[in-house]
Amino acid sequence: MRRNLAALLFATVMVTGAACGSNDPAPPSTPGQPDQVKVGVIPILDVAPIYLGKQKGFFSNRNIELTLEQAQGGAAIVPAVASGQYQFGFSNVVSLLLAQSRNLPLKIVCNGNNSTGEDGKDFAGLFVKADSPIQTAKDLAGKKVAANTLKNIVDTSVRASVRKAGGDPASVQFAELPFPQQPAALESGQVDAIFVVEPFQQQVVAQGARKIASSYVDTAPNLTVATYFASTQLIGQNPDLVKRFVEAMKESLAYADSHPDEARQIIGTYTQIPADVIAKVTLPKWPAEVNRESVQKLSELAVGDGLLSKPADLNALFQ
Amino acid sequence: MRFLLGLIGLIGFGALLELVPATGLIPDRYLPPTSRILATAADEVADARFWNALLDTLITWGLGLGIAVAGGVAVGVLIGSVPLLRAATASTIEFLRPIPSVALIPLAVLLYGSTITSTLILVVYASFWQVLVQVLHGVADVDPVARDTAAVYRLGRWATVRYLIWPTTLPYAVTGFRLAASVALILAITGELIIGSPGLGKEIAVAQESGAVPQMYALVVVTGLIGVAANLLTRTAERRVLAWHPSVRGEVPA
Repeated sequence: MRRNLAALLFATVMVTGAACGSNDPAPPSTPGQPDQVKVGVIPILDVAPIYLGKQKGFFSNRNIELTLEQAQGGAAIVPAVASGQYQFGFSNVVSLLLAQSRNLPLKIVCNGNNSTGEDGKDFAGLFVKADSPIQTAKDLAGKKVAANTLKNIVDTSVRASVRKAGGDPASVQFAELPFPQQPAALESGQVDAIFVVEPFQQQVVAQGARKIASSYVDTAPNLTVATYFASTQLIGQNPDLVKRFVEAMKESLAYADSHPDEARQIIGTYTQIPADVIAKVTLPKWPAEVNRESVQKLSELAVGDGLLSKPADLNALFQ
Repeated sequence: MRFLLGLIGLIGFGALLELVPATGLIPDRYLPPTSRILATAADEVADARFWNALLDTLITWGLGLGIAVAGGVAVGVLIGSVPLLRAATASTIEFLRPIPSVALIPLAVLLYGSTITSTLILVVYASFWQVLVQVLHGVADVDPVARDTAAVYRLGRWATVRYLIWPTTLPYAVTGFRLAASVALILAITGELIIGSPGLGKEIAVAQESGAVPQMYALVVVTGLIGVAANLLTRTAERRVLAWHPSVRGEVPA
């Protein structure tokens, strides 16, 4: 009895906590008042356009007061958007495909960033040590490759590189390792190959590592890597806000894409990447529209690799 | 003398870390020499962003510690003074107390996102038990003779707490406070690091994500300094608050 009471008390506290915690995901637009919009982002190169757009006033022009919340990864952003703490979030496409397969009420509203589409000149790549016997992605059979998150966009893309090079993607082993730890792991031989994005690409190039594939390029032409998304609830309740956000976002993407120097400058304000590295990094592409064929391709690859049980319903995934 | 020895020890440790990368044992791009870490720390100090982060961490820490101490003392005195309550809550406390605060991160993020509130939940949860358990022990330690005497003198409920329970409990509560202070700091930094709520922990994570290794170490050194400062502060507070207590007075009790 005593224990039941305690459990009941605990549950009550939790439920009350939950009630206080869940904000209204769609604060109705008050005339004359700017909409307070929180966007969950990751402090990486990819989100430079939204920072630049905020600085340029593309959002305030549209009566949006933007707050950018830095999270450590999509894993923290997806639930925060689903529960309404953030109105929008930034996440890679595979995470969103997985979220949809788990029936999370989320929809892609705007493009995030794309691969440069140029083999050997992308903002991410598959690297081996300079003296490694591995020459192409085909040689990765039976080897260990580091990926920042397992069962996500990185291993799917690396498998695409292996497939393209004529190897057996199923025989590649993956080890989960955050990007910042991968250069050291490659150097000490804990893994045979790593897949890193900027600025770690510059770090491993400086270490003398050899790039064997641009996996995002191998996955699909001009692959859309990540997108901005919202909850279906917000889209249903405040379509005008979503429309204005998407317009501002498209303007920001176009501006960042055509002003790479300003994009580099803004990256220095929200990351700690050293200035000399920022000057060297390869920037992603920032087209205004999502490359739907590439999302379709990722969905097919995810089914083939066993991440998804059936192809994603793209019409339901896009707003 | 002790201070001097401590200083020498610290300088020796710094010198060792300066030498390790020079020997090539660990490449200096993963462990920069002490001199570069300190130079980077000096740069950081000139940055407003650093001070904002430091302030955020101190607020999270202070607020969390304050809530935990106030809650722990109030609940502890209440539960400890009522035998029935104590018996009824003992097993629940023993169940909840060992739950590692970091295990609550997913719950906190789900409820409050990457805000200071999420981190506060962790901080309060971890440090509350430190205080509560100490206070419970303190209340249980009241001398039965003194208790009977208070009863004979018909001290009221408030007077009993003020003149009988509190003086016995205070040294325990202060110990709880000291333990809670360091636990709260650990959890504040952990929360910022993992949840991404504003503060030094988040800056460490951003530095790491940016491949800015010296900045990362510089911030780690700063969190260490906060820990030292917090310890000095709580020790001083302990001596002040317990100036009358035999354990601090250092005289042979009568």
